[in-house]
Amino acid sequence: MPALVFRDARYFQVSFQFIFLAYGILYLHWNAQWWLYATYFGSSLLTQFSCEIIFHTHRTGSASWWKGLRKGIPSALISSFGLSLLLKTNNWHIAALAAMISIVSKYIIRLNGKHVFNPSALGIVAVLFFTDQAWISPGQWGSGIVMLFAVLSLGFIVVTRVQKLDISLAFLGTFGLLLFARQVIYLGWPLDFFIQSISTGSLLLFSFFMITDPKTTPNHAWARIIWAVAIAAVSFYMATFRFINGAPIWILVLAQPLVPVLDKLFPAKTFQWGTGKELRQEEQWFIQSVYTHSVM
Amino acid sequence: MKRKLLIIGTMLALSPLLYSFCGFYVSKADGTLKNKTSQVILVRDGNHTVITMYNDYKGDVKDFAMVVPVPVVLRKDDIHVVDQSIFQRLNDYSAPRLVEYWDENPCSVYTEKDKMFSPKADLATGYNKSGRGAILNEMMGVKIEAKYLVGEYDILILSAKESGGLKEWLTTNGYKIPAGAEEVLDPYIKSNLKFFVVKVNEAEKKKLPGDFLRPLQISFNSPKFMLPIRLGMANADGDQDLVVYAFTRKGRIECTNYRNVEIPTGKNIPLFVQKNFGVFYGNLFDNQWKKEDKSVGFLEYAWDVSPQNFYHCDPCIATAPSEQDLVQSGVWWLKGKDWTDYTDVDNDEPDNENKNVHFTRLHFRYNRNSFPQDLMFQVTPNTETFQARYIITHPATGSFTCDAGKKYIHELKTRRKNELADLTALTGRNMDTWQDDARSVNDEEQVKDAQYASLMPQVKEEMERRPDYPVGLVLMSVVILGSAGLLRWKGFI
Repeated sequence: MPALVFRDARYFQVSFQFIFLAYGILYLHWNAQWWLYATYFGSSLLTQFSCEIIFHTHRTGSASWWKGLRKGIPSALISSFGLSLLLKTNNWHIAALAAMISIVSKYIIRLNGKHVFNPSALGIVAVLFFTDQAWISPGQWGSGIVMLFAVLSLGFIVVTRVQKLDISLAFLGTFGLLLFARQVIYLGWPLDFFIQSISTGSLLLFSFFMITDPKTTPNHAWARIIWAVAIAAVSFYMATFRFINGAPIWILVLAQPLVPVLDKLFPAKTFQWGTGKELRQEEQWFIQSVYTHSVM
Repeated sequence: MKRKLLIIGTMLALSPLLYSFCGFYVSKADGTLKNKTSQVILVRDGNHTVITMYNDYKGDVKDFAMVVPVPVVLRKDDIHVVDQSIFQRLNDYSAPRLVEYWDENPCSVYTEKDKMFSPKADLATGYNKSGRGAILNEMMGVKIEAKYLVGEYDILILSAKESGGLKEWLTTNGYKIPAGAEEVLDPYIKSNLKFFVVKVNEAEKKKLPGDFLRPLQISFNSPKFMLPIRLGMANADGDQDLVVYAFTRKGRIECTNYRNVEIPTGKNIPLFVQKNFGVFYGNLFDNQWKKEDKSVGFLEYAWDVSPQNFYHCDPCIATAPSEQDLVQSGVWWLKGKDWTDYTDVDNDEPDNENKNVHFTRLHFRYNRNSFPQDLMFQVTPNTETFQARYIITHPATGSFTCDAGKKYIHELKTRRKNELADLTALTGRNMDTWQDDARSVNDEEQVKDAQYASLMPQVKEEMERRPDYPVGLVLMSVVILGSAGLLRWKGFI
């Protein structure tokens, strides 16, 4: 039974991010910058521990203190992997800054018990906007069709575990439809032009690993879908008519402050990591079949 | 093993020859035109772009015509002709390079060898003859936005309402449209691009010495930073090479809709490759291109070439482009510093302005299937340097009867085996391809045991025995699963 393999869905995310990084370095021959990855992981974990000490008042050394410290590790790992996969820079201090912004934002920018910004997305956008020393490479994944299937399957599993597939599909569907309408129907490009746009690894990773973060998406199902559709539409506009690279990430960060508003308008139960939501019989069967039949 | 760098050398003959721009040539005669390797200089800062296109058209100049999609209607000031030798200089300077090292004989006292530099760039270029005027017409939804005479070129800027009309206009005016071009024209028209149509003005051409066409340089403001390669595919057979020389203030450029891969560099390769370095690099490029699934751009050089920075490469294989070369290439932010130009009265830019120039050389090999989209680029703040650099090492000379000498010969054998294995891995060519080259290396009287030709069968055998499956991957998986299991067992996850 897969639910028993990992108690916490975040470890799935970490594993998949690890696979993506390995894929990029081993198969896509990225210029692997170990010092950069080391800086991201080191600074993230350090900041995470420091914040845990500063913002949580448990007595140092007590059982709950250790628990709190340990609970933050997967989250810091996810942020570090997110940064390693996306953000590039020549300077270690820019890397450290991005990691610090990511983690600290979780502690100080909070509303209704949820952090407002997706940590790594905020870290990335902040250093891109304020420093002019970092960049993202939208072309780094290429558009290999194998990659498409792998990302879809892997991402599928992750979101199935955290129950937010709706947001991925709403985003990707809207973005894809708009692109198709623009590129194929209006401009008249051949179909492979469109396929290259939609099968870009960066877009798929965003759809399945970034926008899905349950802590920074609206709680209510319909609010989530509206939110994803809006992000897709604005990103499409910015990418197509304003030539912004990595438009979805920018739009996501700008849209995240709207989440508390949407939560107020559409009240629903807040998502909790790792509390092991009771699965219905069908859901268990479903997840199990995903595992046995997926590329994994 | 002790090694000493004594000589930095030499040369490159980049695969075959470098040629032509990627726009599309519309032939006025029925002859089929081919454009195989294009060279383009891209200069970009902010929203301003300068594109210089190298012209290698090989037919009768009377029949020459070129169409390039551009985002805006260009003014006459935006169009220039430049000296074609600039391409030669940029290519020589940024091309993949070979470095030579000499081993020191461990049995003898240290002797200084002569230093020598042997840059030999032997790129050939092809040119062509005579010229002809342009024809005007206005019909079929085609509007002539502007008409200029620049250097030896008659230039029209067209806008069109639909591809059928544009196609008809071109046909009526005596241009031949290559099959398949129409599928590309339509999206361009709808994206509101203009068409920069170039022909040779015969009268002007006759006034000029030489029988070649000079490169055309255009500049414009647009948030789009791209190169339209799709038009060029219309009449090209199979794969086309494109070398992009890019200059920016901030750092490297990179392609945003295709993968960017650094060409393997810093590899030790056998001594005999020196003879045929051009062929070696051609094979290497071809093999890497296939391995990377073809839809990639290869980085071949990246460096800060700002006039104030004197260290531009290691080793340098040709003279660095001078400040004038850079200005000629379109690096407009250096213009203020051009002391030789007394005509420039607007020379009042502040001295502390950013005069950095970063040079990126990207090499694409594209075809219709692997490159469905035009090349889109971005300027990144990446200032890391890169060069395609390959190392050959000459063996020591003298006798090797001392203990250290015997050890040296043993090490030399191991090194050479590795060089041969690397050569095969890099180029994807069978070892037998190099047999003749290996035999002809005749500087090895003293190191008979370690001759390439005699090592080849051994290396071949070793490589055959080597397992095919990726050992590293299996090992890595075991480690990951193991550590995951350990963490699970310890209750961490």
